[in-house]
Amino acid sequence: MNLTFLPALPFELSYPLLFGALLVAGMLGGEMARAVRAPRILGYVAVGFAAAPLAAAMNLGPLLEQARVFVDLALGLVLFDLGRRMDLNWMRRDWTLAAAGLAESLLTFMAVFACLVAFDYTAVVAGITASIAMATSPAVVLLIVQDAKAEGQVTERALNLVALNSLFASILTTILLTSAHLETKVEVENALLHPAYLFAGSVFLGWLVASMARGIARMVEKTQDLHFTLIAGMVFGAVGLAVLLKLSVILALLAFGLFTRNDARNFDLLNVNLAPASRPLYVVLFVITGASLPLDSLAQAGLVGAALAAVRVAAKLVGVIAFSSFGGLRIRQSVGLACSLLPMSTLALMLHHQVARQSPVFGAQVGAAFLAMLILMEVIGPIAVQWGLRFAGETETVKEK
Amino acid sequence: MPLEFGRSAALSFGVELELMVLNTHDYNLVRGAPDLLARLEKVELGGEVKPEITESMIEINSSVHTRYDELLAELARIRDAIVAAADKLNLAVAGGGTHPFHLWQERRIFPTERFQRVSELYGYLAKQFTVFGQHIHIGVESGDDAVYLTHQLAPYIPHFIALSASSPFSQGEDTSFETSRLHAVSSFPLAGQLPPVGTWADFNTYFDAMQGYGIVASMKDFYWDIRPKPEFGTVEIRICDTPLTVDVAAQLAAYAQTISAELLRNRRATPVEPMYRVYGYNRFQACRFGFEGELVNPFREGRVRVHDDVIDTLRRLEPVAPGLGTQAALAAIAKRVALNANDSLWLRDRYRETKALPDVVRLQAQHWRGGSAPQ
Repeated sequence: MNLTFLPALPFELSYPLLFGALLVAGMLGGEMARAVRAPRILGYVAVGFAAAPLAAAMNLGPLLEQARVFVDLALGLVLFDLGRRMDLNWMRRDWTLAAAGLAESLLTFMAVFACLVAFDYTAVVAGITASIAMATSPAVVLLIVQDAKAEGQVTERALNLVALNSLFASILTTILLTSAHLETKVEVENALLHPAYLFAGSVFLGWLVASMARGIARMVEKTQDLHFTLIAGMVFGAVGLAVLLKLSVILALLAFGLFTRNDARNFDLLNVNLAPASRPLYVVLFVITGASLPLDSLAQAGLVGAALAAVRVAAKLVGVIAFSSFGGLRIRQSVGLACSLLPMSTLALMLHHQVARQSPVFGAQVGAAFLAMLILMEVIGPIAVQWGLRFAGETETVKEK
Repeated sequence: MPLEFGRSAALSFGVELELMVLNTHDYNLVRGAPDLLARLEKVELGGEVKPEITESMIEINSSVHTRYDELLAELARIRDAIVAAADKLNLAVAGGGTHPFHLWQERRIFPTERFQRVSELYGYLAKQFTVFGQHIHIGVESGDDAVYLTHQLAPYIPHFIALSASSPFSQGEDTSFETSRLHAVSSFPLAGQLPPVGTWADFNTYFDAMQGYGIVASMKDFYWDIRPKPEFGTVEIRICDTPLTVDVAAQLAAYAQTISAELLRNRRATPVEPMYRVYGYNRFQACRFGFEGELVNPFREGRVRVHDDVIDTLRRLEPVAPGLGTQAALAAIAKRVALNANDSLWLRDRYRETKALPDVVRLQAQHWRGGSAPQ
């Protein structure tokens, strides 16, 4: 009897199955978190933590690595959305906003740098780690803003500051990679050319995709559905192009969002709400992020990680609160705003991977301490944002009887 | 206890304007009122800026005036202060009777005790009440004059509807009405008009009865189109949509002031009952068709277009206007009526050009800024 119509053993797991399983498990994790009034994101990440050893036991390691395409697409949407919410005109009208952004980024850099040097890391390693630590996770903030239905000054300012520090972090990391190049004895021309190519190329790609999106938008009817499809397509395309051209996905997508911002001259592209349709991607993003965080780094370098996390929190609090009061924010609002900048997640992880790929020495040296800080902030961050937005009075009011 | 009718100078006037607070990325309503008000607290204004029922609204109150040009100047000053504060907060502010595409489910009630109580009593009606109106106060010398004027202004209600209409869009759709805002008002149980009482004493009897039944606690509970306002000593016209500019808002107030002057000078003995028989029909005609609405006159055969009725009225007001200084306002109204132009037309034209309601709201917010520099 010929039984070739039956599947062969052992089964080979496929991406759709993996995606589906992660999605449903993540969703359930999120609802469990919500049941105890924690942010859903914590549930997604916890599912990831739990899935990691399971995946390792089932020899799913490479598969999980391959599932990164989902991470890239989700992060692309997040960064585009963030770029779209960033408002340079506002920063021009209210200098305190840009000043707070600059101050908290700079202070974070200095604090983390000093802390690492105190723990005997080299200046190069400390500099690169500190520049990554400046970035706040855009995905965490956006998702909590959506879930908590937060609206108001703190929310808007938080999103602008997140965009700013993500921008600073990715630019500075790129520039500092130069010094990492120098240490590993790469030619000087490359060391200068590479960051220049990354920066100029990524911004140009963002501009190009934005112009194309506007052009196509003018050709079709102005409906939410059509424009959503268009934007999703352009975002995914831009992620693909950035990877293909070895550009920075982060910079390119932020630039894309920023260039599509609607101003008086350009209102071709509708400001469609990406949130409901991109939720599945975000769930998978956090599950995979959770699964990619090696919890044993807490055992290896928990103390340094905790110290880094503590100085990072302090720096962001001081930087934001110092300048926000000049901008007319009440103290509750300033504290809420500062708390909204604490999360670290996929963006930092991606920057870390980028650095580790280009400079393996760096990855080996500071990896564990950095990842320990990241894990701590991955858990503390979402709670801080949710609490901060509620403290500032910007979340939907809970009915009190 | 009878309601005491406060005294105010006859024909003094003032306005209240409800405005929308918007974000500047998709021009939806946003929870910005608390921050905007906190910022304006530090600014010295002639009038006042106050919270309204949901956190995406603010209300301007002018002070009491006797002259149109002074009212207009004050409104422009308040507008400029609001625009400057909003710019710092990255918010936009606009006129218009409804927000064209906001969803009422997403609104939040301003956390004051009175608004929370209204919300609890009226449920979704309270959130649907996120509409933006202009109220005009006209000073009268006595409660009896207030009752007289409230009744005699009723036939002019369609004029105010057509002239102020600025809410053709609601919940993302063209409603086909010139003003869709009034439907949100009509759903309340105490909407409507003053009962056919003849004197302030009669009105007090009616009010005592309503209070005795436990239906109302104060005048605030009557959501009438025109109502006496004993605390201020005024008659309050509450029918207008908030216009897109302070200029039109001041013109409407001047029109109301001049009509009131004429009605108080040449007292009518028109019976009230027949007037109210056609009131609802005429009101609908103006809401739906604006200047093209056809009005029924209970004392005359045939119908007259709102357009023609306004022009007739303007002609009748000509001798009264110079004494009040309202000629410029009435001339501006005459010019717009000649073109059948109102803010609803302006909004529909913008929609035809841009094909996107968020874009219409952006232009609406720019229009509200008037002379002050664009962003």
